[in-house]
Parts: sequence; structure tokens; C-alpha cells
Amino acid sequence: MKIVVCVKLVKVVGDEVEFTADGLDVDSDYLEHALNEWDACAVEEALRIRERLGQAEVIAVTAGDKKSEEALRRCLAMGADRAVRVDSAVTDPISTANALASAVAPESPDLVLCGVQSSDSVQGSTGTALSELLGLPRVAVVKKLEWSGAGPATVHRELEGGLVDVVEVDTPAVLTIQTGINQPRYATLRAIKLAEQQEITLVTAPAGGDPAYRVRRMFTPPKGEGAQMLKGNPSEIASQIAVIIKERLK
Amino acid sequence: MARDPKYDILFEPIKLGPKTMKNRFYQIPHCNGFGSEKPLSQAFFRSMKAEGGYGACCTEYCSISPESDDTHRVSARLWDDDDVTNLSVMCEMLHGYGALAAAELWYGGPHAPCMESRCVPRAPSQIPSDFEHLTYPKQMDKDDIRAVQKMYVDAAKRARTAGFDIVYVYGSHSYLPQQFLTPYYNKRTDEYGGSFVNRARFWRETIEQVKDAVGHDTAIAVRMSCDMFMGEPGTQLERDCLPFVELVDDIVDVWDINVSGISEWGEDATPSRFYPSGRMLPWQHAVKKVSKKPVLGVGRFTNPDLMISAINGGQLDIIATCRPSIADPWLPRKIDEGRLDDIRECIGCNVCISRWEIGGPPVICTQNATAGEEYRRGWHPEIFTKAKNADNDVLVIGAGPAGMECAMILGKRGMRRVHLVEADDDMGGIMRWIPQLPGLGEWGRIVNYRKIQINKLKNVEFHANQRLDANAIKTYGAEIVIVATGGYWATDGLNGATHDVIAGADASLSWQLTPEQIMAEGKKVPGKKVLIVDNDGYFMGVSLAEKLAMEGKKVTIMSHQAHIAKYMDFTLESPNQNRKLHKLGVEIVVEHYPTKIEQGKVHAVHVFDEEAHDKVWEVDAVVLVTQRRSNEALYRELKDKVGFSELKKEGVNAVYRIGDCVAPRLIADAIFDGHRLAREIDSPNPEEPLPYKRERRVINMAGAKAEIDEHMAAIHAGVR
Repeated sequence: MKIVVCVKLVKVVGDEVEFTADGLDVDSDYLEHALNEWDACAVEEALRIRERLGQAEVIAVTAGDKKSEEALRRCLAMGADRAVRVDSAVTDPISTANALASAVAPESPDLVLCGVQSSDSVQGSTGTALSELLGLPRVAVVKKLEWSGAGPATVHRELEGGLVDVVEVDTPAVLTIQTGINQPRYATLRAIKLAEQQEITLVTAPAGGDPAYRVRRMFTPPKGEGAQMLKGNPSEIASQIAVIIKERLK
Repeated sequence: MARDPKYDILFEPIKLGPKTMKNRFYQIPHCNGFGSEKPLSQAFFRSMKAEGGYGACCTEYCSISPESDDTHRVSARLWDDDDVTNLSVMCEMLHGYGALAAAELWYGGPHAPCMESRCVPRAPSQIPSDFEHLTYPKQMDKDDIRAVQKMYVDAAKRARTAGFDIVYVYGSHSYLPQQFLTPYYNKRTDEYGGSFVNRARFWRETIEQVKDAVGHDTAIAVRMSCDMFMGEPGTQLERDCLPFVELVDDIVDVWDINVSGISEWGEDATPSRFYPSGRMLPWQHAVKKVSKKPVLGVGRFTNPDLMISAINGGQLDIIATCRPSIADPWLPRKIDEGRLDDIRECIGCNVCISRWEIGGPPVICTQNATAGEEYRRGWHPEIFTKAKNADNDVLVIGAGPAGMECAMILGKRGMRRVHLVEADDDMGGIMRWIPQLPGLGEWGRIVNYRKIQINKLKNVEFHANQRLDANAIKTYGAEIVIVATGGYWATDGLNGATHDVIAGADASLSWQLTPEQIMAEGKKVPGKKVLIVDNDGYFMGVSLAEKLAMEGKKVTIMSHQAHIAKYMDFTLESPNQNRKLHKLGVEIVVEHYPTKIEQGKVHAVHVFDEEAHDKVWEVDAVVLVTQRRSNEALYRELKDKVGFSELKKEGVNAVYRIGDCVAPRLIADAIFDGHRLAREIDSPNPEEPLPYKRERRVINMAGAKAEIDEHMAAIHAGVR
């Protein structure tokens, strides 16, 4: 039994951001990297299924350059059995899904888990695209998962306003996992050290088509206007605020 | 990151008479235990602030004569040329950073006990000190007045020779010039007493004489308290201070304005327990309105927004800081560089001051473990060397003050990976609940600062909700393990007064409680009448008394000591804390210790009652604030049960412990302990502190031998 988890090494910006000279990306001096939070939850969910069923192989897959192996090593340290990197420089979700599919399909997984979205580009479409490429059913924004390891899984989806949509889905399927489904475990120093020595399978990226989009410019948006300065003493200002609130509540 | 332009005003130069200060950050005179006799410690301590951007730094109170000898406390001194040499080092270092150097010329009058010099201090009137014990001054006649004024002039000249740019004629805190101004001290009927003009005469003449002597190239500062809070006899703003400002404004280059006298100078150095930042602004503002000269003043300013509002609001020209400059000597620089997140804000606990009150050991700071260690240990609060064993991974167990500090400094020293692992669901340890005691909210800054720093450090990971046992630690994969599991309050009444448990004390019972049971575990205090046994003598007992009284309990607090919460005398918290407890109707029982606790009753005896008459307090609940103990079970298991050789097989090369887990002491000590280990993690034996430089006179053997030979020769010659 195999569970594949697709993960991404995301870029994390601090309070201060500078862009590269061509204005297409954030200057790498201002970036840190981490395993995407949603993906960490997906890995945790896979590990819990493995623990619950007593058996299952958890395989972490990413598409990216050598640096992106940091995300895979974190998955291995958490307890994933194997890791695969598709050597690729893609960034848009469709090309990424394409690259991932080339590594996921040969595994013939029983379940594929992705994060709902990545915290850096926040497209929320890689998992859905991947399901299409793999020809598998998919359920997005999963908050709870019940599955016996074969046959249909019962999946709780998070909707607006705290509503829950409970669906049944045949497996194999692609599920995109929402944060809050679990508290991802952390890796001990020993697990981190062991993960550093583990081999990562390298897969050549498929010949890709055109990217689904390209970055034309990255910039800090100018500060918004439209702030209205209220004048007067505190009680005058308070009544003006009350008028505005009443107006907006209409 | 660049500085926010709204703070630009803080970085504008300002003229102080013949001198120009490069910005508006001024380190007010404050003690550090170094004086003139540990000149390198003094110079390195002050210049750390200059390096951190302060435009001017002052000595502590600087005695002008052996008649103003504060021994056992440590002041700076400008008694002779050797003092000039010693203090010149401080001036030179400050100038190297582009900062001005100031000397706070001080004559204490009756408050100077002269225990080293054995001189007799002089005063306006012969009344013993309200601050020191048994110090009687000589009442000054006019010759005495001339003599003491000459001491000021001579000391001012020596200050200038040493390199000082600013000299004070210091009155605040009830010292000599202000004694003359104040009827409480001045009962004279000659032209130096009585009317305002007469009471102001001594101070005015002294300022004039100092101005004449050095004023052409040295700025003259006057530090004045604008309210002693003692009613009619004390200094009064309207009656005394504002007229005095008008009287001498022309010859003063900068005013340093505060409040309080000496016997309750916690009204000036205000603990955060009682006062917010900027509490003296009304008085400073009042002087600012009358004076044409720059006005500076303290107010425990840590927040740059408050600083600019004080300047923009016309209340101050210069932001003076004492305690915030100890907690973070780089405060100006961090504002300048837009690093507000990195400011280590003073918590207003006053343990720095406690050291001076105790008698002058080196200054310490809860927030800044490097305070006072700049020279003797070579510690820099902001610059860290990469550890020689930085290729090690470290596991720190327990994210209380010591564990957080240690993990943070190890991170800054570039250890490969540091895991800070905590059983609770967040960082803080005891500092998660201590700031919830009445008035102690600002103490939460201990956690906030470290949490922000730890979150920024890429090589430090924090993991909550993980209670590791010895086996998990063994196989965790760390080369270095640091146990910081803290301490706990004794549940059996064990205490330092009797060195025994209290019969019947047992905090597992529903009606007996320890502080952490109340504050952290939510154990309810049953009934109405509560007796707190306080053998600890610091903030815990009285804080719980205040809290429970505010919740409507009838509270008794009992100490074996002569007064309650003795350490709070040193932190200047005692007077107002006692007022609060009295107001809340808390019964304070001193010089008693409990002999037996039983349901509904506490039996106690007076410490000096040889017949041990049994006294009984009827109670519904008992709170045991008797002593703390180290939470060392995990450390003992690692060391005694698993054994270091077994740990070594798993790759653990060292196990250390820090903080309350070693011995429960001040929070400042726990943080120091964690810091010290991290600073010395690559020393030959990190468990033992490296020796520090002891700044002292080591005798010149040749010179000493000559003196001994001379002495012996005199004996042989029969001269003696």
C-alpha cells in the first residue's frame, strides 16, 4: 500500500522585502525556506494512516531544484519512507502538476495527498491539476479523513462559514489537505540527522509545454488611499464613526 | 531597515552650553558598582551605551570629597588626581564613540555615612539622615559653606581634567544643594535659611562658582527633584523649584528633572509594579515651560513613540534613560536602524537598583545578562562569536527564562541546530504566570523579547507539548543536552527560617496551596480567611496577598523576618507595596513562624519568645510561600540512572543544567545562568564558569618590598 504526498519548499519573506534587479522575483537575500505548512499536515496525515493501518509506504515527492530537497528531508525526518525529486525548474501550478505526475504515476499509489495551497504563491491549483493528469477523483480542502486502506474514503470538506461537506470518494484519489486537520509532528535531531543521509530518488522532468503563466512584475503595492480622517473632539468623532458604521451595515 | 522618519527628532543634535550632544539620547547618572576604583569595568560599561548610540553618558553619583563618602555603597569619586586618571578612561572611551561624558558631582551631607574616610559630613542643619542609620552631620557655619563650595569647584576642575564635558551640581535625591533648598532639611535662620531666596542661596552660589571655574568649556547641569512627596516641609514645585529655575536659568546649561527624596526614591526609580513609563512628565513639562535651557529627564522610556511624544509635546528636549539603558545599551541604535523588535525592554523590576541598595556589588539586569560583564567577562549584548563546537546539535529541555535565554544565545552563537523542547504548550515557564500577579504585567517582556528572537533564529526550533523522558533524551540525537526544568514551591513547608518542614503542611490537601497551584494550575483558594506563610521574602508572598485580598479574602501574611518582603526594600518596592497591603486590610505578622498547621488553624510563635507561647490563627486556607526547590528529577535520572557513559554511546557528549533546576534564585540569576552556559559552551569545561577579570590593585612587589624593608629597618633601628 502506497501513499504519495506531494510537497513544496516554500519561500518565506520577513518584514522587509527587496526585489531582484529585473523585478521578477524577491531578492533571495530576503528569503528563507520551509516545508509548506499545508504539506506538513498532508505528510502527518499519511503517517497517521500508516500508523493506524500498521502498514503503508509513505512517499514524499517534490518538483524543484536541489535546494527543494530540504522539504523532502524534513518529510523523511518526520517519518516518510522514501523521497523523490523531479528535477525541474517549473514554478506555475500546471507545469508543477505535470512534473509531479511523472513521478507519482509510476508509483501506482493507493492515495495521493497534497496541501490545499502553498504559502508563497497561493494558487491552490496544483493538487487539482495533478488529479486531472493522473485521471483520479479528487476532493479539495479536506479537514477530516476516514479510510480503511482500500475502497472508498469518507472525507470532510471545509466550506464557508464553518459548514462541513461530507463526501465519499473512491480510491485511489487525490485529496488536498487543509491545515488544522492535525498537528504535524516534529522531527528529533536524530531523525533530522538520519534523513540527511537518506537517498533521494531523482526523476528527470518530462518535456514540458508552455507554462500556464509567467511573472511580469513583482512589486510592493502602493499604500492604499481612501482613508478618511475624522476631525473634532472625541464625542464628535464617535458620532461620525457611528454614522459611517450604520451606513456600511445597510 | 531604515529608521522611521517620525523618529528623526530623536537624532537631532542639541547644544548644551559650550558642548553639542549628537542626539537626544542621554544616559542618566546611575550606579553600577564600579565607581572610580574599577575604572575599566566603569569605562566598558558606559561605553557600551555610547556604542549603542547614546549621545551622552554620565557617571553614577560622583563624590567630590572624602566628606561625602558613601561606603558601604559604591559611588564614583573625584577626590584626587588618581581618581582623575581612573575616570579619564571612561571619558576617552565615550569620546571614541562620539558621545559626551558627564560627571554627577555629589555631596551627600548627612546621607553619606563616611565609613571609609571617617570624616564628618556637613549639612544645613544638624539632623541625622532619614535614609542612613546613625549618621549625624556637622551643622555648617559660613566657613563650612565656603569650604564645601570650594570642594565643588575643585572637583569640577578635576572633572574637566579627566575629560568630562558636562558637570553636575546635583541636588535631587535630597543631597546637599537640595537640602539647603528644602525646609525638611534646612532649619537655618541665617541668610542660608528661611525665605526662598535664602534657601536657594547655597545652590545658586555653588552653581555660579562652578560655572566661573569651568563653565566656559564645560556644560553645567543641575539635577533637581521637583516634588519630595512629603507635603509642606519637602521640596515643592511651585514654591521652590520653578522659582529656582527662573533664578539660575541663565547660568545653567541643561536641567535634569525628576521627583522624590532619597528615603523613598522609588518614586523616582519607579518599579513597573506601581507606575507606567513617563510618570514624571508633568514635572518635567512644568520646568520646560519656565526654562529657556534644554530639559532632560528619565521616565523608564523604552518605547520610541512615547519618546517622540514627550519631545514633540514640549515636555522634554532630551530623553534620559537609566534602567532602559541597562536592559538595552543599544536602544538608540535599534530605533535608528528600525529594529524595534530587537529592543530588550526594561521590565521595571529594579534588581539593578537592588545591588546598589545592598551595598554596591556589580549591577545586574534581569533582561540583559551582559550588564556589568562588558569588561570582566568581555560579553557584548549584541555581538556573538561563533562557537568552536558549532557543529554540535543541542537539545534544551524547558523553555522557562533560563532555557529560552540559553537556546537564544546558542542560536546566536551559530550552533548547527538547537531544539528548545517544552512540556507546556508555549514558551515562558514560570514567566507565563508571574506576570499575571498584580502589577507585574511588564515582566512579561522577558518572554516576549526571547520569543521574538528565537522565532527569528533559523537554527533554533521550538517544540511545545513535548515532555521528554530520559530515554527520549538519550536517543534524541543531540550531542549536547541542557536541562532547564526549573523549580517548584515546597509543598511541605520546608523553609530557610527553621531549616525544617512545618508540621501538618501538605499542599496536596484542598485547603493548602502553593503559588503555582494557585496561579498556574487553577487550584481554588477555599473559604474566606487565608494565611500566607512567607519565608521567601520577595515578591511572591506579598503579590499573592494583594491578589487574594482584591478577590475579597481576609488575608494574613506571616514572615519570620522583621518586615515583610525584605528584598523589596532593595528594589524600592516596599513602601508602596506595604501601603497597598494596608489599604486592602491585609494583616501583616512579622517575626513569627508557624509551628503546626491543622485544618482550620495555624499555630505560630514569635521568633524571640524563648517560652514559645502558642498563638493560633483561625484560617480556611493556607498558602505556602516557604521556599522553592529545584525540579531536578530529570537531570538526576540522566546522570544517576542512565549515566553519562550510557548517554555517550548514543552520541550525547555532555549534559548540563541551568537556572532554577540548579538552584532557584532570582529570575535575573536564572537568565544569567542560561546565558553564561551558552557563552561558554565551547570552553574546556562549560559546567564551570570561566574565571573573570578581577579588577583590583595587585601589589607591585618591588614597591611593597621597599615599604616592608623601611618598616623593618625602623624596628631594628629602635625607632618604633
